[in-house]
Formats: sequence, C-alpha cells, structure tokens
Amino acid sequence: MRALRLAQEMQTKTSKGRDKPALDPDLRLYIYRYFIRHGRAPSVVEMANGLSHPLKQVNSALERLSATHAFVLQGNGELWRAAPFSAVPTAFPVKIGRRSWFGNCIWDALGIAAMLRQDASIHTSCGCCNYEMVLKVKNDRLLRHDGVAHFAVPARDWYKDIVFT
Amino acid sequence: MLLFRSEQHVGRWCHQWNRVRGGTLTPDQVWRLATEWYRDRLSTHWRPKTTAVAENAFAEIGLVGDFWKLPS
Repeated sequence: MRALRLAQEMQTKTSKGRDKPALDPDLRLYIYRYFIRHGRAPSVVEMANGLSHPLKQVNSALERLSATHAFVLQGNGELWRAAPFSAVPTAFPVKIGRRSWFGNCIWDALGIAAMLRQDASIHTSCGCCNYEMVLKVKNDRLLRHDGVAHFAVPARDWYKDIVFT
Repeated sequence: MLLFRSEQHVGRWCHQWNRVRGGTLTPDQVWRLATEWYRDRLSTHWRPKTTAVAENAFAEIGLVGDFWKLPS
C-alpha cells in the first residue's frame, strides 16, 4: 500500500513537472536497453559508469524506481527484476531469434515478446506437473495454445509480495 | 503467475500447496494483458498505470470482480 502510494505520488509530481528526479527516466531506459542488448541486467557499477553518474545517485534512483514495482532490488542492492525482465534465471525463458531473456512469470514472459514486438517462443512447463509447455508469438499474435494461467493472490495483495502472485 | 496444463492441474497445485483457488486466465487473456501492460515500456513517456487505468485494462479482457480490484 505504502509503495503504491509512493508510486502514485511520484507519478503525480512528475505529471505536474515538479520534483522529477532527472536521472530516473534515463536510468529506467538504460536498464531496459542493457537487458535487450546484453541479455542480462547491468550491475549498479555498470549503470553508474554507463550514465556517468555517481554510484550514490544511481542507488537513490534505483530506490525511487523500485517504488513503481516495475523494479525490484536484491538484498545486495543489485537488480532482481526490471519487469518484464528477470535478472536471475526463472522457469520462463523467452527466445527471440538467437537471443534469450528470462521473464518473471508467464505474464512477463509474454510481456517481453510484446515489448520487443518480435516473434518469440517461451519454453516453460506446467506449474503442477512440470509437463513441457511451449508458447509461441508470431506476427504479433499468440498462437493458439491450451492451458490456464493462475494468479494465486488477489490483485489487492500483489504488492505485498510481488515475487509470489 | 504460473501456467498450468488445465483447470484440473490448477486444482491439484492449490491442493498440494494448501491454497485457495485464485483467478484464472486463458493464454490469450495473458497475451492481451501482457500487450496492454508492456507494449509502451520502452517509451520515454512511460508512466506507471494508475489504479483506475489498470483496473480498466483488466476489465477490457474480462477480469472483473473483487479478485481483480487493486488497492485504492
């Protein structure tokens, strides 16, 4: 709740053109472009070097970005997720051509294909029995596929533990 | 959010983990949600969705009711 309020406050301030931390939008895009180009998350040091900003400012900007829930940090301050990308291996690998990334869940895995607007295949498995399930996106459409996606937690509680939804 | 082979496998998983059954979507609904959520993520003008906009996006793909209400 608090984090959602912070995100909404940040959005309100931004829309009014006040108090907008200048580094945040640049850092947000830097992270996404790094993921796309390198297939992995940048370290905080790489972010600071890439944007020519002091480490302290980058860490502060990451904290603010985390209030949007799109970004989640690990205990050591490094990126854990920049939705839809995961910085760590998951059960939702997304392959586009010869490149690949990890989504945080099936929603995010499909989100990578939607965001990059390219044909993709997602090699995942049934959450119950681990039976292989491969989803394919072609020409901006999900090819017909059986299966059911399940949210275990109601939307009002997603942000209490974003990792378990 | 996990993917399952069928509703029956969702039920088995819930039983196995002693959890109440949550909300389910078809793969096509997840794709539409993913498109709505992430299509503009690389835009320099991207902003987090407000609660109203997010709930409207849920409703457009048929996700309505108390389960899909976000905290206000």
